[in-house]
Amino acid sequence: MNARLVYLTLAVLLALWVLVPIFLIATLAFSDRASVFAWPKGILPQQFSLETISFFFGVEGVGKAIRNSFLVAGLTLVLAVLLGAPAGYALARYRFAGADAYRVLILMTRAFPLAILAIPLAVRFINLGLYDTALGVALVHTALALPFAVLVTSSLFLGIPKELEEAAWTLGCTRVQAFLKVVLPLALPGLAATAIFAFVISWNEVFAATLLTLRERTLPAFLLTALNDSPLPFRFAGGFFLIVPALVFIFVIRRYLFTLWGIANR
Amino acid sequence: MAGIRVENIIKLFGKVRALNGVSLEVRDQEFVVLLGPSGCGKTTLLRIIAGLEHADTGRVFIGERDVTALPPRSRRIAMVFQNYAVFPHLTVFENIAFGLRMQKASPERVRAQVDRAATLMHIEGLLGRYPAQLSGGQRQRVAVARALAVEPEVLLMDEPLSNLDALLRLEMRAELKRLLAESRTTTLYVTHDQVEAMSLADRIAVMSTGNVVQYDVPMKIYQEPADTFVGGFIGSPPMNFLRLPVEGSQAKIQTLALDLPAAPQGREVLLGVRPEDLEAHPQPQPQSFPAEVLVVEPLGPHLLLTLAYEGQHLKVTVPPDFETRPGQTLWLRPQPGRLRWHDPGSGEALGHAR
Repeated sequence: MNARLVYLTLAVLLALWVLVPIFLIATLAFSDRASVFAWPKGILPQQFSLETISFFFGVEGVGKAIRNSFLVAGLTLVLAVLLGAPAGYALARYRFAGADAYRVLILMTRAFPLAILAIPLAVRFINLGLYDTALGVALVHTALALPFAVLVTSSLFLGIPKELEEAAWTLGCTRVQAFLKVVLPLALPGLAATAIFAFVISWNEVFAATLLTLRERTLPAFLLTALNDSPLPFRFAGGFFLIVPALVFIFVIRRYLFTLWGIANR
Repeated sequence: MAGIRVENIIKLFGKVRALNGVSLEVRDQEFVVLLGPSGCGKTTLLRIIAGLEHADTGRVFIGERDVTALPPRSRRIAMVFQNYAVFPHLTVFENIAFGLRMQKASPERVRAQVDRAATLMHIEGLLGRYPAQLSGGQRQRVAVARALAVEPEVLLMDEPLSNLDALLRLEMRAELKRLLAESRTTTLYVTHDQVEAMSLADRIAVMSTGNVVQYDVPMKIYQEPADTFVGGFIGSPPMNFLRLPVEGSQAKIQTLALDLPAAPQGREVLLGVRPEDLEAHPQPQPQSFPAEVLVVEPLGPHLLLTLAYEGQHLKVTVPPDFETRPGQTLWLRPQPGRLRWHDPGSGEALGHAR
């Protein structure tokens, strides 16, 4: 009984820890100028107004940063799925020497600190002409998203019985036809989730984006540099715009994230 | 329609020999059951015939065609899987039509074939449903209908009834038998259930550790097992084996002397006798031997007795009204003509041509 009470209290505290800032940012992003500057701020939503948001979109560079963010995240999504799904399929379907080591190695890429990679990466990108381009940032983001893409898709394909494919083969399908007619339709929701997750990872990533760009900034990189010398309404609106897509997407694909964690716990 | 012939199949999984040079012939329109305990290689053999696995050596023929190197789609087979493998994203109609669509059959032919297969399996009312809306038994029917719809030369079934509950299994078994007797499709059927094998098969191939140990009609397999493994695997309860001393060309059970078909190698021989082929009497009888009752199990249609003869256990079935209790001595009379003799070393039947 007591343990349960402690558990509930901790859960509530944790939820508040996450939700209160989001709540404040959201309410203030949709308030007028006066209430943003007011102190102390009320807990309940202030007077509703689009003034803050429209001011945010009016600032020079925001539109371009948002476009860049979408471009980079879109590229990351495509690359992560195109590279990750075949690797996941191979891990799920074939028993090959070193499969387990390969699985761990994929996760290891996440253990490698980006800070150490950053300088050599920047130099290499300048040499290759990838520095300050959307593609360059997208490549790094793909590297970050790939472990998740591989592990999620491998658990996804593991969940589709091999016999379904085999049945399709015996009924006249080539391997490719069987994949397209049987596996792909069943995997599609999970693949979509994987794609969205890659998108969110890219959308939220700030470190690589800041280091590898100067003018072609993504939204987080742009905000990070602009935040300190911007007025309060700009910060709230920017914060809100950063949080929302990630929250919405994570909410949509939460079921698949649990399968990812299920895999990671094995 | 075609027969199946496999020649000298060897299959290794790492260092394990899953199949140890298996040869087998299934005649056109025959229903053959591959029977064996798990791990004996029966499913591997089926999958090699389907083309889902590749043998390390050996050849597979379907009809007169050598299909050893062909992929599954070119073998003109159909397979029913243990977990049904019904496509969850397609309706029952599209599931059954899948193979026909792959053959680019005309819409009229698809319609006709699906209707025919669905009617055969009594699922014509379910064609619009998705597999998630079906029970296990109904999915099983869809899987069989899907296999039959393509009119394969050979039908391969991998433990198709083992995921059904006992009652449904009994029903489906009879239905499968009726259905395949009607369609006369050459069928190779894998199971570990000896009752299923006995009830369905024209011939049974009993497998053990990568070999076919006996290949014969069900009653022959039951009555004349090739070795102690087959005798012990087929039948519930299994065949009794009694170790007896040999004198000349006769085996001795106390005062009872039984003629042997061939002189055994050593000085002992194994008597194989089915539980129903020992007649139990409360009083001493001619041509019988005494044994002490250990356990009495009433099973409904009969009583199952566990008895001990000189420290060796044996099972005997007697009519349900037979009165006995543990500790009593009964006289057992072996039914003449129902006794099998085995070599105690190899377990192989004496005088059994192999």
